[in-house]
Amino acid sequence: MSNKKIGVYICHCGGNISDYVDVEKVREAVAGEPGVEVAKTAMFTCSDATQQEMLEDIREKNLDGLVVASCSPKLHLFTFRGVAKRAGLNPYQYTQVNVREQCSWTHTDDPAGATEKAIRLIRAGIARTNLTEPLEPIVVNTVPAVLVVGAGIAGLRAAVGLADLGLSVWLVEKAASPGGWVAGFGKMYPYDRSGSDLISQLTAEVKKRNNITLFTNAELVEKSGSIGDFNVVIRVNGGEEIKANVGAVIVAAGFDAYQPGDGEYGYGTDGVLTLPEFKALVDSSDGRLMYQGREVKDVVYIYCVGSRQPEGEDRTYCSRYCCNAAVHAALTALEKDPGLHQFHLFRDIRTYGKFELLYNQSREMGVRYLKFDENEPPVVEKDAAGKVKVTVKDLLTYSEEVEIRADLVVLVTGMVPRENSGLTDVLKLPVGRDGFFNEIHPKLRPVETVVDGVFICGTCQGPKNSAESVASALAAVTQSASILKKGYVELEPLIAAVNPELCQWCGECAQSCPYTAIGKEQYQGREVAAVNRAVCKGCGGCAPVCPRNAIDLKGYTDAQVRSMIDAFLKETG
Amino acid sequence: MNYDILVVGSGIGGMESALKLGDMGYKVLLVEKEPSVGGKMILLSKVFPTLDCASCISTPKMAAAAHHPNVKAMVYSEVQQIQKQKNGKFKVKVRQKPTFVNPSLCTGCRQCEMSCNVAVPDEYNFDLVARRAAFIAFPQAVPKKAVIERQGSSPCSFTCPAGIKAHGYVALVRSGKYKEAFDLIMETTPLAGSLGRACYAPCEGECTRGGLEGPLPIRKLKRFVADQYYQEHAETEYKQLPASTGKKVAVVGSGPAGLTAAFHLAQSGHQVKIFEAAPAPGGMLRLAIPAYRLPKEVVDRDIKNLTALGVEIETGVRVENPAELKEKGFDAVFIATGTQSTREMRVEGENLDGVIMSLDFLRAVNLGDKTSLQGKTVMVVGGGNVAMDSARVAVRLGAKKVFVQYRRSRAEMPAHRWEIEAAEKEGVEFQYLCAPQKFIGKKGKLTAVESIKMELGPPDAGGRRKPVPVAGSEQTVPVDLVITAVGLSPQTESLQGRLELNKNGTINVNPETLQTSVPHLFAGGDVVTGPSMIVNAVAQGRRAAFFIDRYLKGESLAGVAFDGRLPVVDKEQVLQRQQGYRTLAPVENNEPLQRGVNDFSEVEPPLSEEEARYSAGRCLDCGVCSECHQCVSVCPANAIDMEMRAVEEEVEVGSVIVSTGFRLFPAQLKTQYGYGQFKNVITGMQMDRLLAPTRPYNTVLRPHDGKVPDSVAYILCTGSRDQSVDNPLCSRVCCMYSVKQNQLIMGALPLADVTVYYIDVRAFGKGYEEFYQQARAMGANFVKGRVAGIEEKEDGNLILTYEDIDNGGTVARAEHDLVVLSVGLLPNTEVFNLFSGVELAADEYFYVKEVDEDINPGKTSIDGVFVAGTASGAKDIPDSILHAGAAAAQAAAYVERTRIGT
Repeated sequence: MSNKKIGVYICHCGGNISDYVDVEKVREAVAGEPGVEVAKTAMFTCSDATQQEMLEDIREKNLDGLVVASCSPKLHLFTFRGVAKRAGLNPYQYTQVNVREQCSWTHTDDPAGATEKAIRLIRAGIARTNLTEPLEPIVVNTVPAVLVVGAGIAGLRAAVGLADLGLSVWLVEKAASPGGWVAGFGKMYPYDRSGSDLISQLTAEVKKRNNITLFTNAELVEKSGSIGDFNVVIRVNGGEEIKANVGAVIVAAGFDAYQPGDGEYGYGTDGVLTLPEFKALVDSSDGRLMYQGREVKDVVYIYCVGSRQPEGEDRTYCSRYCCNAAVHAALTALEKDPGLHQFHLFRDIRTYGKFELLYNQSREMGVRYLKFDENEPPVVEKDAAGKVKVTVKDLLTYSEEVEIRADLVVLVTGMVPRENSGLTDVLKLPVGRDGFFNEIHPKLRPVETVVDGVFICGTCQGPKNSAESVASALAAVTQSASILKKGYVELEPLIAAVNPELCQWCGECAQSCPYTAIGKEQYQGREVAAVNRAVCKGCGGCAPVCPRNAIDLKGYTDAQVRSMIDAFLKETG
Repeated sequence: MNYDILVVGSGIGGMESALKLGDMGYKVLLVEKEPSVGGKMILLSKVFPTLDCASCISTPKMAAAAHHPNVKAMVYSEVQQIQKQKNGKFKVKVRQKPTFVNPSLCTGCRQCEMSCNVAVPDEYNFDLVARRAAFIAFPQAVPKKAVIERQGSSPCSFTCPAGIKAHGYVALVRSGKYKEAFDLIMETTPLAGSLGRACYAPCEGECTRGGLEGPLPIRKLKRFVADQYYQEHAETEYKQLPASTGKKVAVVGSGPAGLTAAFHLAQSGHQVKIFEAAPAPGGMLRLAIPAYRLPKEVVDRDIKNLTALGVEIETGVRVENPAELKEKGFDAVFIATGTQSTREMRVEGENLDGVIMSLDFLRAVNLGDKTSLQGKTVMVVGGGNVAMDSARVAVRLGAKKVFVQYRRSRAEMPAHRWEIEAAEKEGVEFQYLCAPQKFIGKKGKLTAVESIKMELGPPDAGGRRKPVPVAGSEQTVPVDLVITAVGLSPQTESLQGRLELNKNGTINVNPETLQTSVPHLFAGGDVVTGPSMIVNAVAQGRRAAFFIDRYLKGESLAGVAFDGRLPVVDKEQVLQRQQGYRTLAPVENNEPLQRGVNDFSEVEPPLSEEEARYSAGRCLDCGVCSECHQCVSVCPANAIDMEMRAVEEEVEVGSVIVSTGFRLFPAQLKTQYGYGQFKNVITGMQMDRLLAPTRPYNTVLRPHDGKVPDSVAYILCTGSRDQSVDNPLCSRVCCMYSVKQNQLIMGALPLADVTVYYIDVRAFGKGYEEFYQQARAMGANFVKGRVAGIEEKEDGNLILTYEDIDNGGTVARAEHDLVVLSVGLLPNTEVFNLFSGVELAADEYFYVKEVDEDINPGKTSIDGVFVAGTASGAKDIPDSILHAGAAAAQAAAYVERTRIGT
């Protein structure tokens, strides 16, 4: 039947799986499958102890196939490949079967069904493993250079960090000068350092390093190649194109400020500003605040404008930085005019962590906070005297209706994803539900994207303050260096392979490839399709379109898929 | 060995830094004080906002940290000192704490854990349940190796001269493992029955319970253990007799020292023969100690423990010249002849008939000469235990009157308090500050004694006040029998010139090895130490056997440690460790003492099994591990190594990342919430354990009565944003972990209500607000208002008083059956002690200060030292990971910079 010796390990995942899937029954049902030499269950297959047990089994019983039935391969594919590797088994002779996300978690209402599904999935995994062959990863030598897109505070800091580790940097900024948003800021929280000072300090650091090349008025227009060895094209001043070869790309493209719609809390009328507009006003005043020639005495802040919208709206997310920024703006304004009256109308004050101290300080200095119900937002109107009247029900004073006549109303607006469609198209970056670029996993791989070798940091990933953006930029530096300092990367060999005997080059496959990984080559005097191994992602799109069945996907060959289907359909008894 | 970067702490931040730096090619030393890498995250259930299982996120990183070719992970280790050098690098001292389990042999099978007899609160389950002293921290531990927690020697075991593991057998009795307890005692001495009755039990004097309601009856527990075994085993059973070494050893004297030495030598495979001058073996056990204290059958049975090993005993033989035994084929000799003489009083009339030395008196009685003292007046001279024995024996022989004369006052009497009291109860009279001056007789037979009063003068050389006769206070009383008990001395006249002797007649030996001036002769027990306790003699016998064995094997005797013990634990710390010990009164000592008792049956009643278990249950497990050695016997890999000790090493590193994490706010500080008092008030961390896949129970239940809760309340900001506990900071994670738990509880207990009392819900991170809204949509009830206090009802339910802001700010009350305190984070200030020379700066709330967070997040006041994760301030997991990445980038840059510089 089978000349393979396969080890099958079924995980309880604490109770995550075994609460719904009868793992012992599953084990019995698959233990007799062709090729199965060992079938065991374990509390945590990912634990060190079970890994050790697998290692010993593989060595002692000379296993040449491994099936782990636990969670999603997103989590532990590399863990168990590592086990195989350490045991001397080719990592591609291992199959991950996901009986947690696909069985126990999805069928909590039907343990028997979940169990049966697990049996079928594992049988398919075993069938596939029976037909696996050893594969070697594709080794690509890495280029010790990084393209950083965006020269705001995150991009600048990333460039300096990369250069300090001996990597060359191409720093590309769309605007005419580097610095992004922060360059335009005065005092920033919580250390009261001025944004423009920080940027001058960083640009000076950039200038000191001759392995950083900064382009302004520039944009990334083309990217090809793969992790470790990308070819990129930078267009400068809308004309000249510069080609560069880099090992990784860090995207630090920043954010846009939310722009309220006309009439949103009175926006558009005199005396109603957004937070960035108000900050600019405060930063630019020498003494007391003046607005349109009048002295400002009463300021009302309205929080969460454009943020925390109800389900179904565009921006359901909290914009993270704005509570802190608004509280800090109030403190800065008080420095200019200690007599200023300030009223903050909020939903929840989110001065998280040490920023709570700013909030406390502002209250001690007389700044007033009123909490409104999200279903009864404040109303902003112009009154007869030309002042702005804000009416709000304050939950903190028994829902009393309060009217405030203000010289200025500050709409505390958050961050929104920047319009970046050009960049998104070039890099093929995915965006999340909130419209910001998406990381693979917030904890496991927080700066990586699904595009290998393309990393994200700063506010293009989600709202952050300046220091947080810098931290994530340095995390991206670390991630880049962990790949590029080694000198090579290993790519998945699970890619398309053309059988040149069968291929007659019709071009269908090349047409279907989303990565432009298929070209032509000469084989015995005729043209056949050829796969660029570093570019092919193994998506399999080309295999079914080939009219001559000349393309197979390594690791998921037609024979393997057929055997899996057969195994699925077997009676479970 | 040198490293590029030291990472202190292997929580999620430390692991992230270490792994990324390892990937870059730097050599990393990762030091973790717990037995497993992983920090606190691995103990969580799931993590917000993705609801990933914390184990699933952590375990791959943990395994990678342990296996990465460029990362050396040292667990159960502590950084002791970090000192910056002139070259910009750092000298680091690391201490590897002893786990007492050889990690290269341990397979993580948990047999030791299951056989362990000590239970302590399980800190990895936040004290919801207990763990053993031998343990694997948690199922996903990396490395999965057992650790035995030994905080030091327990005072009882530490103080035992013989090295009997008193705590060990107490713990075994507590678990009902009597046979194992007997075997443990037999690891030290064959005299379990005798010591269980006649030992003066220094252990009990040191028992920590002694400072509370009274010590454990450790000696009687030993008797209980011996009695249990002897009842079931007329003969001692050995699984396997040791293989013979072909060597022969002679033991001269069969007292406790000789018997113990013979036993251990026989266990080592040597052929042992004991020579005893008296007609029966046992030395003082048989001859001096009266049968009402130590029945002679018990001594006989104890001796069977040796004879079953093949030890031969020849009685009635006096060995005059031990050195000559070599010619009879003995390769070594152990001299343990004890102190067989009573010291003379040097008083007139001492040779009269009717004046007898205590040992002669007791020996005669013990060997069966129970001549009646009916109608006689007996005077005992001396204040030691032998004097008490003599007096009490005299009572039993029917004496009309028995009185003791002692030349100092009662306070100075060397006899044990309980012996004096027992003698008093049996009718013995005491005359203090009084001593005989002259024994008066007629025709060579004693008729009266002239005594003189004494007063205490200035202290003598020994520090005791010297008694001085009071002139003119002489007094004569008629006495029929005087028993003198004024001290014992060895009979070593025959060794004169053959061995080096001390002035007082004891044998001069090397105190460490007990070897005499003649290499193949060893000596121990009272003949070396002078008169002492049985248990001291046992100690000497054991020591002698150890060195004789080495001598016979041709091994060096010098510089070899014998009976290594850990330093004794501090009793104060033991008491502080108890989270609330119960008062457990000692079992009362009901000796049926009566005046004029006239039989020699055993006075002390045995402990019943119930009393024994109860008494053993009073043990506070001072040293944590009891040294019961059960793990040693069950470990299939022979991995247990009780001799393991801490190892310190010094390394040089190029840069340092401190990722020492946080401390949880101690919830009991908010007294109005009753944590620690009200059983159904738990912390958020405890709830996370209840929800974790490795949860202690199989469902969410309240600890008080195991009821599945149907109304759970959360109190946010417990210990955060709170000036009353000096922590105005927001802890950043509590809102979100509470929201996460809300979702998990609603999944696990679909019928339960969840109410969250909050100030502001701080769902500020990516995906957090949506996660919070999802919890609300699932039915979690969010009430804005601070909880002022909690009261406990009789059924364990809790009444919360709170300000109901959404409904007009009135003071309201609500009942819940489980309250979860969403405790916050506090700084772990231990990190500041690591640095010597230059100080690591703290911020005003004692987190590690970031000196340039705007541009260099993670940079500290010491160039080259970086901070990662919550050590510099509360952070959630994603922020900690990013922060750790930032620290790694800068540490690497620092290494590159200093590398160029040097």
